Amino acid sequence: MQINEELVEQIVRVVSEQLNKKQGITMTDHESKKINYDKYPIANKGTNPKEVVIGVGPAFQTQINKTINGLELNEVIKTIKAGIEEEGMVPRVIKVLKTSDVGFIGLEAAKLSGSGIGIGLQSKGTAVIHQKDLYPLSNLELFPQAPLMTLDKYRAIGKNAAKYVKGDKVSPIEGENDPMVRAKYQVVAALMHIKETELVDTKHSSIEWMEV
Amino acid sequence: MKLIAGVDIGNSTTEVCIAQMDSEGRMRFLSSSSRATTGTKGTIANTAGIINGLEVAMERIGKNVKELSLICINEAAPVIGDTAMETITETIITESSMIGHNPSTPAGAGQATGTILYMQHLEDGKTGIPYIVVASSKYSYESIAETINSYAKKLSIVGMILQADEAVLVENRLEQKIPIVDEVKYVEKIPEGIQAAIEVALVGQSIRMLSNPYGIATLLKLDANETKKVTPIAKSLIGKQSAVVIKTPFEHVKENKLPAGEIYFLGDSKTSVNVDAGADKIMEVLSQTGKINDISGQSGTNVGNMLRNIKKGMGELTKEEASEIKITDILAVDTLAPVQIFGALAGETCMEKAVGVAAMVKTKQLPMEKIAEELKKRLHIYVKVAGVEAVMASLGALTTPGTKLPLAILDLGGGSTDAAIINENGSVVTTHKAGAGELVSMLIQTELSLSTRHIAEEIKKYPLAKVESLYHMRLENGAIHFFEEPIEPKYFGNVVLLHPDKMIILEDDIPMEKIVAVRREVKKKVFVRNAMRALIEVAPEHNLRNIENVVLVGGSAQDFEVPEMLMEEFANYKIVCGRGNIRAIEGPRNAVATGLVMSYIGERHD
Repeated sequence: MQINEELVEQIVRVVSEQLNKKQGITMTDHESKKINYDKYPIANKGTNPKEVVIGVGPAFQTQINKTINGLELNEVIKTIKAGIEEEGMVPRVIKVLKTSDVGFIGLEAAKLSGSGIGIGLQSKGTAVIHQKDLYPLSNLELFPQAPLMTLDKYRAIGKNAAKYVKGDKVSPIEGENDPMVRAKYQVVAALMHIKETELVDTKHSSIEWMEV
Repeated sequence: MKLIAGVDIGNSTTEVCIAQMDSEGRMRFLSSSSRATTGTKGTIANTAGIINGLEVAMERIGKNVKELSLICINEAAPVIGDTAMETITETIITESSMIGHNPSTPAGAGQATGTILYMQHLEDGKTGIPYIVVASSKYSYESIAETINSYAKKLSIVGMILQADEAVLVENRLEQKIPIVDEVKYVEKIPEGIQAAIEVALVGQSIRMLSNPYGIATLLKLDANETKKVTPIAKSLIGKQSAVVIKTPFEHVKENKLPAGEIYFLGDSKTSVNVDAGADKIMEVLSQTGKINDISGQSGTNVGNMLRNIKKGMGELTKEEASEIKITDILAVDTLAPVQIFGALAGETCMEKAVGVAAMVKTKQLPMEKIAEELKKRLHIYVKVAGVEAVMASLGALTTPGTKLPLAILDLGGGSTDAAIINENGSVVTTHKAGAGELVSMLIQTELSLSTRHIAEEIKKYPLAKVESLYHMRLENGAIHFFEEPIEPKYFGNVVLLHPDKMIILEDDIPMEKIVAVRREVKKKVFVRNAMRALIEVAPEHNLRNIENVVLVGGSAQDFEVPEMLMEEFANYKIVCGRGNIRAIEGPRNAVATGLVMSYIGERHD
């Protein structure tokens, strides 16, 4: 079988149509859905040493409402916050508009966090725990396979991030690895990421995100 | 010019040194090496380790093993060390009557007493009765908080027990703050309608009421007889952050004293002692017995099985009948072992009393000649078995700068602690005592309930630190160490061992202070006690004050704190004591190997 550009386009079109039917995500006319964030308060650096900042991607809860495997983003963010709260720390959510890369979102969150610990969360569900002094592509814990994530894992991410703040011994969250995930989800992942990336506004500072 | 090798086979390491002798009989040490002993000391399996050690040492001076003209191996003392451990008490709870555990985040603080009521039966609650509400993990923290808030005006809810890890989440949403214990695994086993007391400790403290029998009696209104029965419960709750005690048939809780059994010493006289009397008493009886021929335990008891297993294991290794194997010395140490409580609700453990024992097994002469033959066959080099281990160690120790005769040595090895005194006319008195490095590792492993012996070994060898940020860590002595370069994020927040090449992360979640305390305590219990025992035996008139110099040699003398502990102890007897420095370069290692070469060259001169 020959793989050429035409074939790829064809696959993308078929997958888009199916996604539209299944998840209600419109993969077309995203330009028109760009939101004006000027009225939202700019996120400043926190002063509370107990704070863990969760940074979400540009499409979070506005253009995308479910992760790649169908978890409601409302539930995801609530669960992460619960994990942080149970450990006695304080969660705060910001929306990062200038990038859609999970590493950079996480680092931005960490830099704005009063404790220096932040969580980066892409709208498709990929997450990272970051620390303000690390390089963007380095991190404390990375959860790269979004299709394998569950609410329990998101709870554990919140819990672990809070434990890093407290300087506790942190047991890394058990990860799953499924070699078939890549093949199965690659196109959807690419589409979701493209959608999020198209909403990036490099000139806009991160904003406080209250829609949770 | 001839090249001569000295080889010392120890319980855990094989040491080699290479010396050159010129035509006038002058000797010069060229090289040395240290390798793990292959197989049990004194068996043919040792040859692989010996050859490997020789190769490494010869390579260091750019030569081949074949250029050696002679290999001297030591006449090893026919003693092998082994360790074992038995618990002698056990807490059994046949009815679910307590939950005491350490969820990392309970909520609220203080204690409360009330009647157990399930979440789903709240509407059946009566006013005027204090309740402790139990909620399973199928309720979310939001619905629990909402329901409790709505019932708070009608009922008196004084505390909560949760199955999920959500105590803080619930408490943050409650209008009236109450103590909440969470992460109770088998919440459905808590019987409804009976009296229970819960307690959550204040920040930085452990619980005070429920870890005290009279505290439980106060909260649950017990009489003197019942109070006596809750003692094992109170004991197992010591040091916890939160606990629940339920007033259900207390007669079903008991501390079961296992039949610990007697140890029999066969020596100049025949004596016996009950293990229950504790390690101090055992050691006292042992020293009163004088020279020991064999030690055994009462059959059908833990200690009996333990000692029999040591003999059996040794018999298998040395291919001798178990009945021919004699235990000639033991070192008993009191310790605490965490044991899962039988019948507990949240997987609780209790620190049970236990005795750790190291035994010294005397076998028939070790087949060193066989090892020599095997070496000869494989290397085609003349091999000589020469010299008693302790004498060779003394000779080697004398190469430490600043020593003179008479000299006492303490050889702190893996399996045994040996002492020898060599006086001005060259006569040597020696002794072998059970218990050294391996017993220390075993005790560290059980007291900290570590998953593997390997990690206990590492804890024994290296100091600890807690990585507090990517830029600094706090050392176990309280000092701060800054890194030149930020370290890898995987170390963040972890307790690490400071191995010279790299930091080792401890996977078990134990506070650094506790590890340090256990490590130091165990080393004291084993090494200080054994050093005293061994030296008193070899000292003239069995009086320590007749010894002037003690040189520490052997693998455990390399330990970063044991020599200091011994120095402090011996300072009380005005003894000069310190780590040996064999040939002024080797440190405490290589004494026997060095002594072997020296004695061979010395003999030729006579």
